[in-house]
Amino acid sequence: MVKQPITKLGAPCRAGANAPLSLVSVNCCICDLNDVEPVGVGEDFEYRTSPDTFLAVRCRNCGLIYTNPRPAMQDLSRIYPPDYHAFEFSAERYGFVYQVRQKLEARRLLSCCKGLGKDARIIDVGCGDGFHLNLLKKFGQPSWQLEGVDPSDRAVEAGTRKGLKIHHGIVQDLVEDFVLPQASYDLAFMIATIEHVDDPSAVLTTVRSLLKPGGKVIIVTDNTDTLDFQLFKTRHWGGYHFPRHWNLFNPNTIRALAQKTLMEVDTLTTVVSPVNWVYSIRNTLVDWQAPKWLVERFSLNSTFSLGIFTLFDMLHQWMGRGALIRATLRRPL
Amino acid sequence: MQSDIRESETIEFDSRKPVAIVGAGLAGLTAAYFLRRQNVPVVLYEAGQKIAGLATSFHDQDGFTYDFGAHFLTNRLAAATGIGAHCRTVKYYGETVLLRGRTYSYPFGLLQVPRFLAGGLASRIQPVDEKRKNSSAAEWFRASYGRELADEVALPLLEAWSGAAASDLSASVGNKLQNSIGQTLSLKLASRLTGRAVACGYSHEMPENPSVWHVYPDGGLGLLCQKLADELENAIQLESPVEEILVDSGRVQAIRVKGREQAVSAVISTAPCNILPKLVKGTNVLQPLSRFRFRPMVFVNMRFQGRGLLPDTVLWTPENEFPFFRLTETPLSMPWLAPSDKTLITVDIGCNVGDEIWQMEEERLGQYCLEHLKPIVPDANQRYLGCRVLRTPIAYPVFLNEYEAERQKFERSTGVEGLYSIGRNGEFDHILMEDIYWQTLKKVRGIVGALQH
Repeated sequence: MVKQPITKLGAPCRAGANAPLSLVSVNCCICDLNDVEPVGVGEDFEYRTSPDTFLAVRCRNCGLIYTNPRPAMQDLSRIYPPDYHAFEFSAERYGFVYQVRQKLEARRLLSCCKGLGKDARIIDVGCGDGFHLNLLKKFGQPSWQLEGVDPSDRAVEAGTRKGLKIHHGIVQDLVEDFVLPQASYDLAFMIATIEHVDDPSAVLTTVRSLLKPGGKVIIVTDNTDTLDFQLFKTRHWGGYHFPRHWNLFNPNTIRALAQKTLMEVDTLTTVVSPVNWVYSIRNTLVDWQAPKWLVERFSLNSTFSLGIFTLFDMLHQWMGRGALIRATLRRPL
Repeated sequence: MQSDIRESETIEFDSRKPVAIVGAGLAGLTAAYFLRRQNVPVVLYEAGQKIAGLATSFHDQDGFTYDFGAHFLTNRLAAATGIGAHCRTVKYYGETVLLRGRTYSYPFGLLQVPRFLAGGLASRIQPVDEKRKNSSAAEWFRASYGRELADEVALPLLEAWSGAAASDLSASVGNKLQNSIGQTLSLKLASRLTGRAVACGYSHEMPENPSVWHVYPDGGLGLLCQKLADELENAIQLESPVEEILVDSGRVQAIRVKGREQAVSAVISTAPCNILPKLVKGTNVLQPLSRFRFRPMVFVNMRFQGRGLLPDTVLWTPENEFPFFRLTETPLSMPWLAPSDKTLITVDIGCNVGDEIWQMEEERLGQYCLEHLKPIVPDANQRYLGCRVLRTPIAYPVFLNEYEAERQKFERSTGVEGLYSIGRNGEFDHILMEDIYWQTLKKVRGIVGALQH
């Protein structure tokens, strides 16, 4: 037997992040039940914001995947560090990938805006640095009124620099404080947002109240009904984004959420994305302490791996199991 | 971990009649924690001065840590209870078997022995007489592993472990064991590749996979219980043994603690199930449980100079020249349990309460073990630094055929409405840490459902 070095406590973490987070136990956000089975256990492979380990569970009643226990709200600033990518997904930082993503996303966004009038009012909830709003500003109708909401100062600052109208805070507070008018918007976007919020039902109910009767919300979120989830779910699945993605859906649970929040499902499709594939492999390599040059081949900067997995996910999309869900929900008339 | 109960989840219960939980070990604390989360009033009664039951560790002034029961838990259980940040990864865990002076890694190394391999293969090829296979543990092991491996390794270990003849033990001992060969192989391989002690054969309630491995909480396993207990302020009553559980018309009505009768809506007992017949008044349906036997065990924790005295973390000794059946050098898996130049070997000796081994004084037991350790650790005497002995009358449940039918009936229900028996001792089952947690969670859901009705 070789004498082993004594391992450190908990997961590896960045300098200054040694203190454990405050964790809270929660029930399923759809069923309000605590009837779960464990699915995966992991750590913050990407940002190393704490030494904690996290458990992804599946609700036996509805199939929702959620992190439980999860960080308390007071620790949000710790789990979203200043270098968090969504705060500034800039052309300078992400180069060619930015250009490609911009074109693809612009096409997708505009297809969601079909049929909107000249004076349409559009809101992006959880807009980050305003990437999508900026695309609508660039490629959409100039007369559209565009607004965003994000709780991060840094994201709001980055978006405002681009000349966008971004409200700082969380959507429920902004409605309560009459900053956002109810029944006033034609279209809302929640792109990569619903998985981050503490109470998806409450947020969606609030977004519903912002919409005019017949108005729509487009939800784009990670899909758990995929091959990449099946292959990596026990630990490394990129979609977990431990500990920041608190609720993860599949088409069935999105329908259940729509039902709970009294929304009608207009369309429910999946969308191609290479990100969860790339990050699942990256997380595996990080966890197995692979050399840095290899890990770096799998990131938002790596055109090659993003390209390969875009093609690969197209095959899955063709079978109706793309990496992302895109749900269009309508506020009933 | 804080609980976050929303109003919509609140269930109305009669707060004057709480659920009484007997015993503040892992099962009792888990049950109390989850009942509390459902807003069910609970009172947890612990006879001892401290919580944690079998999940206790002791630390001495020389830097040694002695685990009383389990040595580690899984990273999945640590994450579920929010203590992952306080745990160390166990990088390696291995078991070997000592036979005729040679050691073989468990389980696949044993297949190097031609007669074991031939017997094992023959057992796979020959048609199985299911009735015979299920007639006793002896027949089960012979039919599953081959006669040679069963007779020379599995059955002697089983007999030393249980204190009963393998032919008197029920086949369910075997049925409760192990994964398939393919799964064991893949988990062992994953362990080797990842440099982590991947759990193999430890969790039956939830599937094992290469991402589930052993971890050890800082300071010992008591941390897990403490974490659960932190959420239960005012609900735990220490030094408060439940003296009686009062049943009327087949239903639990009340308990008696410190001479005072208290109405309860249900009782969840984690006490050894064979004492329930004495504890429960007003019914005889639990009488068959008094025959259930637990195997008493003496654990001699021997301190030595040096490290790596055993070929692997666990060494099984099936040959009857040894009075013990298992040696565990815990620092090979968990180096932090002893100072870096020293080690700890735990010697497991099955016994009966009151017999010679049970009564032997600590230092004499140490010397007794040293004598028998010589063939394994030749210079054990020179290295020996002393020992600390832990005794328990209820180390393992003994699955005797004579009460197998009653055991299976008990597995389904206690037979008393409102009385639940959970946990390792309560369920009369060799359940390990993570299974206790998930099984308790499942049972609590059932109990809440029953209470609502």
